[in-house]
Amino acid sequence: MDLAFTAEEEQFRQDIRAWVREHLPPAIAHKVHNALHLSRDDMQAWAKILGRKGWLGYGWPRQFGGPSWNAVQKHLFEEECAMAGAPRIVPFGPVMVAPVIMAFGNAEQQQRFLPGIASGEVWWSQGYSEPGSGSDLASLKTRAERHGDHYRVNGQKTWTTLGQYGDWIFCLVRTSSTGKPQTGISFLLIDMKSPGITVRPIRLLDGQCEVNEVWFDNVEVPVENLVGEENQGWTYAKHLLAHERTNIADVNRAKRELERLKRIAKSEGVWDDNRFRDEIAKLEVDIVALEMLVLRVLSAEKSGKNSLDIAGLLKIRGSEIQQRYTELMMQAAGPFALPLITEAMEAGWQGDFPGGVLANAPLAAHYFNMRKTTIYGGSNEVQRNIVAQTTLG
Amino acid sequence: MDFDFSDEQQQLREAVHKWVDKGYGFERRRAIVAAGGYDAGAYGELAELGLSGLCIDAQHGGLGLGPIEAMVVLEELGRGMVLEPLAALWLAAHALQTHAPADLQNDWLPRLASGQALAVLAHIERGARHRLEPCRTQARLGGGQWSITGHKSVVPVGDRADAYIVPAVADQKLGLWLVERQARGVQTQGYLTQDGGRAAELQLDHSPAQLITLDGLQALELMADIGSASVCAQAVGLMERTLALTVEYMNTRKQFGVPIASFQALRHRVADMKMQLELSRSMSYYASLKLTAPGPQRRQAVARARYQLGGAMRFIGQSAVQLHGGIGVTDEYIVSHCFKSLTQLEMTFGDTLHHLGEVSQRMDETAGVFA
Repeated sequence: MDLAFTAEEEQFRQDIRAWVREHLPPAIAHKVHNALHLSRDDMQAWAKILGRKGWLGYGWPRQFGGPSWNAVQKHLFEEECAMAGAPRIVPFGPVMVAPVIMAFGNAEQQQRFLPGIASGEVWWSQGYSEPGSGSDLASLKTRAERHGDHYRVNGQKTWTTLGQYGDWIFCLVRTSSTGKPQTGISFLLIDMKSPGITVRPIRLLDGQCEVNEVWFDNVEVPVENLVGEENQGWTYAKHLLAHERTNIADVNRAKRELERLKRIAKSEGVWDDNRFRDEIAKLEVDIVALEMLVLRVLSAEKSGKNSLDIAGLLKIRGSEIQQRYTELMMQAAGPFALPLITEAMEAGWQGDFPGGVLANAPLAAHYFNMRKTTIYGGSNEVQRNIVAQTTLG
Repeated sequence: MDFDFSDEQQQLREAVHKWVDKGYGFERRRAIVAAGGYDAGAYGELAELGLSGLCIDAQHGGLGLGPIEAMVVLEELGRGMVLEPLAALWLAAHALQTHAPADLQNDWLPRLASGQALAVLAHIERGARHRLEPCRTQARLGGGQWSITGHKSVVPVGDRADAYIVPAVADQKLGLWLVERQARGVQTQGYLTQDGGRAAELQLDHSPAQLITLDGLQALELMADIGSASVCAQAVGLMERTLALTVEYMNTRKQFGVPIASFQALRHRVADMKMQLELSRSMSYYASLKLTAPGPQRRQAVARARYQLGGAMRFIGQSAVQLHGGIGVTDEYIVSHCFKSLTQLEMTFGDTLHHLGEVSQRMDETAGVFA
């Protein structure tokens, strides 16, 4: 048993750190470190930089152009990117749909879709949730009917994150109504420029349009865009979930944000208030404990022994921590988190922010925004059901 | 970065596990509690397994193993709620081995390793609460002989141990001494503790003592951290067992015609218990792995672990009782004993609020397992 990374792993970390330092645009890092608004161009600029290096698909095997890193290397890469202030990789292409195409798509689909994902050129969205299908995803109703060499798709998806930027969308659609709900679902890749698709951004509680409704009105999708076999889509979607693993805990970002919380607490004069400081201390312990849990999972993956089936725990804890640090940041600023000046959340704004500390401008919005984390990706209550199932048998 | 146990560590775990299962069942434990909370026979069995000498170096007749082996053994002893104080013994042996002059080591370590003698740390004083200072017990040198006067509280098996490691102040500086129970001026008043174990008040009145070290504060801080890591390891074993008992009960007990394990309100509580258990296991590893780090890092890591584990011990103990319902508050069923043992562990070597204060005082700009 040993806490330290190996010398090779430390060298790997140093190499990544040096590369990120050289290639991450400071203006983007500044926005990330201060929770300022990130544009589509910011996100895609970083994606393309990574893409040119072959690291946008950092979890990919070599045969598809990835670096074939092991679990520890992937973790170190994520950590170095997070601590340097890199934007999170928009996961829908490289992290979510790509592994499904690799595992279940045919050679033609792999050649057609993977290069655009790897380079960051093509923006993918996820079409899973529907107005009537949230936690009970298998009840989804969006229909795809076969007509000769294409499917005709009708229905509605919702909560499609950043779907307003999407070039393509991968969807779970119903191709059969017989048998269990899970057995009649197919995995379809749809060009978002297809006639009949309407995207409507949904303004959220923080004032931003992070998610969308997507309507499909007789959208024609070529049959060659079906991944794998018809009615097997649920199996592929579950495979996708298995690919999230430790990354869902987002512990590296939490470490970075804990540093920001401490800076804010100092600047707002609550660092020396024991009652407030103890709350930061509790969060610090929570983050270290989560990191240790993540490291245990990585160690188990590396050695192949003692596999830990605790993805649900990582999701629950990670999301609670994300909510907690945004909550404490807002509380640290107190009344100076209250002025709603949307422009102050853009980099380079030159106005006077009430209280004189511009860093307070995004705190409340960030707190409001993070309420999503215990809802999405399988709500924390659903995750508890899963944990209870494995614990109680 | 590797959290797998070696084959030797695994074998050690299995040996202790087997002894606990076969040799330390609920009925025997109950009999030991009824007879005063400590059994020399059971202690002898642990010594026969070589466990008394686990952390004592080979030249003094021990196995010379380290913190991870200690953690492995303590997880299993914690699981069995074993009352015989091996962790306390190892701590005393650590103090002697690390700081004492050679003749004192040669006198005591072989006997401690073989289980013929028992020594424990006697450091708690009323007024200091969880701090290691102030210490009111005084040490004086006269005619070439040290003597100690003072009062120590809640000393593990204090009226059965053969010797005590006693922190005391000489010339306004904290030092450590060894005092034998049979020495002049030593009085003990023994009692049961809430977990069924045994402790005593220790009164020293100009009692002859042998010097271990005059640089006592650093030594005592390290001992307290080792003690805390021991608490974590025992708690992990016991929380694991407490959860297992609860799961078993929920799958057996029926109400409204179905096993109570089918009720979502209860299932979510079990999920939260599992969460606390796995976070605790992670932090117990962290504490034991950091025992060899430089003082400030070690102190910070152990305090973090104890804060995490403290909340977990209380939550898992209380939840187990709640999920058992009425049977959970009876003396005849084991789960209340788990709850009481967890409660006592949480208050051993500093309680959760104390450790939170330590974390809070020691925060840096950055944080993380490696920061």
